[in-house]
Amino acid sequence: MSDWLSPDEWQAVALSLQVSFWATLLSLPLGILTAHTLARRNFPGKQLLNGLVHLPLILPPVVTGYLLLLTFGRQGPIGSALYDWLGITLAFKWTGAALAAAIMAFPLMVRAIRLAIEAVDPKLEAAASTLGASRLWVFSTVTLPLILPGIIAGSILAFAKAMGEFGATITFVSNIPGQTQTLPSAIYAFLQVPGGESQAARLVLIAIAIAMTALLLSEWISRAVARRIAGQ
Amino acid sequence: MRLPTLALTLFLATPAAADDITVFAAASLKTALDQIATEFQATTGHTVTLSFAASNTLAQQILQGAPADIFLSASPEWMDLLAEKNLIQPASRIPLLGNTLVLIAHDPNATPVALPTLNPATLLGADGKLAMAMTASVPAGIYGKQALTSLGLWPKFEPHIAQTDNVRAALRLVAIGEAPAGIVYASDARAEPGVTIIATFPADTHDPIIYPAALIGPSPKPAAAAFLTALTQAPAAQVFTDQGFTVLAQ
Repeated sequence: MSDWLSPDEWQAVALSLQVSFWATLLSLPLGILTAHTLARRNFPGKQLLNGLVHLPLILPPVVTGYLLLLTFGRQGPIGSALYDWLGITLAFKWTGAALAAAIMAFPLMVRAIRLAIEAVDPKLEAAASTLGASRLWVFSTVTLPLILPGIIAGSILAFAKAMGEFGATITFVSNIPGQTQTLPSAIYAFLQVPGGESQAARLVLIAIAIAMTALLLSEWISRAVARRIAGQ
Repeated sequence: MRLPTLALTLFLATPAAADDITVFAAASLKTALDQIATEFQATTGHTVTLSFAASNTLAQQILQGAPADIFLSASPEWMDLLAEKNLIQPASRIPLLGNTLVLIAHDPNATPVALPTLNPATLLGADGKLAMAMTASVPAGIYGKQALTSLGLWPKFEPHIAQTDNVRAALRLVAIGEAPAGIVYASDARAEPGVTIIATFPADTHDPIIYPAALIGPSPKPAAAAFLTALTQAPAAQVFTDQGFTVLAQ
């Protein structure tokens, strides 16, 4: 296997998996919270929050990347604070790539989870409440198990989106082999060189394989979970 | 001034009606070409659509049948590729412009540096990046790598390079201060007030920087030929010179 891909190519694949994994995992709690807020609460500015969440879906990725650079870069308001207080740099680091991927994937995650929450019958939650369960207890014992398929679907969708993110990533963290050169950046770089098509093609095959595996896995898990819920 | 120009325009424009042409040009030519195209449109009545990207991207788009009438490449390599595929008018090809490669800094008070003794720590600080176009594929990046290599600086700087998909993106990183320094064309540095030139790479440290231009397609539009000619003549040539290019084809 290792002579099939060069070390640089492996590095890009491994980095993409790492970036997408952390992007998905760390945005999940906020994703569930946001989806729950949008599905179950009414408050002034709800549409504004909804719009804000969806912004990365609508903006050109390069714009999102540039806004990230201006905000989270070393000179940016958040980026400079993070550096001064915690010594954290995001621009030109893999952590920045994870942030870009998380933000780009966030709307997809929230949409999937929100749909799942809206499908839960509020009477079930109400029944649990009348029996004396606290809000958090209702959410963890009634809502959460019911929306699990949605959470899984949302996470896998976010993971797949993170794997494919290119525009915001190259703008925010550039294209540094071993640090920020993700699978799409590597494919893009190979396509820019005459004769690089075969290397690009190999990486494209890997990207397709990973995406298909993730998708099939999500289908399978969702069905298994749905069956279990129906059986109870 | 206005009236004779208008009369001349009418005289010249009558046989070939106003036409639309599309020019694919290297990202580094943006500032100059925007200005030249505006003037050309005003005097001829033709419409010029300018499409800017890295030369390699443009060449590949033309290979895939993109509707370009003129290609202005930042390196002969990509024009050669199109010539091999018989996509350009060989007779129309000219070495239009020359350029120089410079080291720029974000700090407006940065002082000139001696290239041979350059080191990452003093130039970039603790973990700053040197912004460059992609060093394997984009002309500005390829020349930059050649220059650093022939000065013996490449091994030292390689781990600190942030590669962008075109040279203007590298310029932007330095202009907004996210990268303390970068390598771009002199013309880019001239177009961006937010950067300071701190060194010029000697011409013998890299391949000659030549921007070839040619007409694309089997039957070029007369308006395209007129625009290509206009690029080598007085008002346009002056714009290029002001932007820091050398005009090679007169």
